[in-house]
Amino acid sequence: MPGQIKRMIDTIITQRSNGNTTIALTTKTKLLLKGINPDKFTLASEDDPSVVAKLRVIATELGVHL
Amino acid sequence: MPIKTAYSIKELPAAVAELKQQCADLKPRVVLCFASPKYDPALLSQELQRTFPDASIAGCSTAGEIVSGRMLTGSVAAMFLDGDVVENAACAVVRNLRGGTGVRAAFQELESHFGTPLAAMDIEKYVGVVLFDGMSGAEERLMEEIGDLTDLFFVGGSAGDDLQFQRTHVLAGGQAFTDAALLLLLKVPRGFDIIKTQSFVATDKVLVATEVDGRKVGRFNGQPAVKAYAKALGVAPEKVAEEFMVHPLGLMVDGQPFVRSPQHVEDGAMAFYCRIAEGAELHVLNGTNIIADTRAAVEAKKAELGHIAGIIDFHCILRTLQLRAEQRCGEYGALFGEIPAVGFSTYGEAYLGHINQTSTMLVFR
Repeated sequence: MPGQIKRMIDTIITQRSNGNTTIALTTKTKLLLKGINPDKFTLASEDDPSVVAKLRVIATELGVHL
Repeated sequence: MPIKTAYSIKELPAAVAELKQQCADLKPRVVLCFASPKYDPALLSQELQRTFPDASIAGCSTAGEIVSGRMLTGSVAAMFLDGDVVENAACAVVRNLRGGTGVRAAFQELESHFGTPLAAMDIEKYVGVVLFDGMSGAEERLMEEIGDLTDLFFVGGSAGDDLQFQRTHVLAGGQAFTDAALLLLLKVPRGFDIIKTQSFVATDKVLVATEVDGRKVGRFNGQPAVKAYAKALGVAPEKVAEEFMVHPLGLMVDGQPFVRSPQHVEDGAMAFYCRIAEGAELHVLNGTNIIADTRAAVEAKKAELGHIAGIIDFHCILRTLQLRAEQRCGEYGALFGEIPAVGFSTYGEAYLGHINQTSTMLVFR
């Protein structure tokens, strides 16, 4: 099912920022620095297993439960 | 005036005595100190602690110093912040950087001092300064761990040694450290802001890092890195090093580059001054005017805030080298006008990650 990556990214940003727009922006930057570009993925993006696995690790590092 | 700056070119201990004299009757809660590697770092740290026993002291060695209105070498520059600006401050040292970061332990020290978990601190009233041993090569790892553990901003830079690339130091608590980083956490009731400015514009030429080993990129777009970079610039592969200063690469974030500066060529690969994540899409950048861009950034922040109480400027050595070559260091120093400012030429700046070729500034309101 496509779109899993986009949903994971959104969950990470939403949970981490908890409504704070500044933290949402910095979380997006942190994802980019970790090698994931949030703007590259949409709900139509294929579920690349390597990106999904990478996001699971990143979520753990950022203390976010997916 | 709640923030003062000072500098000295005297030897120790007279240099610290001269700083104290310029501090005059201000009672500093925090003393930041950036010193030429000509100074014995342990002796300097001891003298600072002895002279300002009630202050939190943090500093490092440099590749050039900045103090209100001037860019210097062979000096020690300081900023004094009193209790009106910094209500509370604590400094923790992260040791053995190359072996592991130890950020959690340092954060626990800071939490213990403030009596508050970092997670409960207001990100608009608390800000961190981070100073690294600039030869550790561990900045990315430490910044990533800081960013994982907290949403507080930590800005700073990597210590220098006047381009000798031998040994750099961070200073705290009357001691000097190598293979270490300092985390100085400040509670600033009036608030703060951050300027990250770089003098580049992105081109539409994109290089994707397809083979990475630490700070070395073996391949861009599936081709040997040098070949791909040369092709993007339209120059011969043997000439690429001449382009590094004005055509670094940028990881674009909301239209702004996080600059990745090439350092040297290595058997068709390119070594950088910071790590690039595999798969990262990097835009080739074109250099613009450092003086004009930095002036615009400082003026815009001044207009936005109405008043700036002081600035700490973490200024990349590559920018300093360019300004020296263009004989524009005086112009750069003058950009800050009447704003108390201190800083140094770094071996890399810190803002969310480890970055290059910026002026990354902590602005006190």
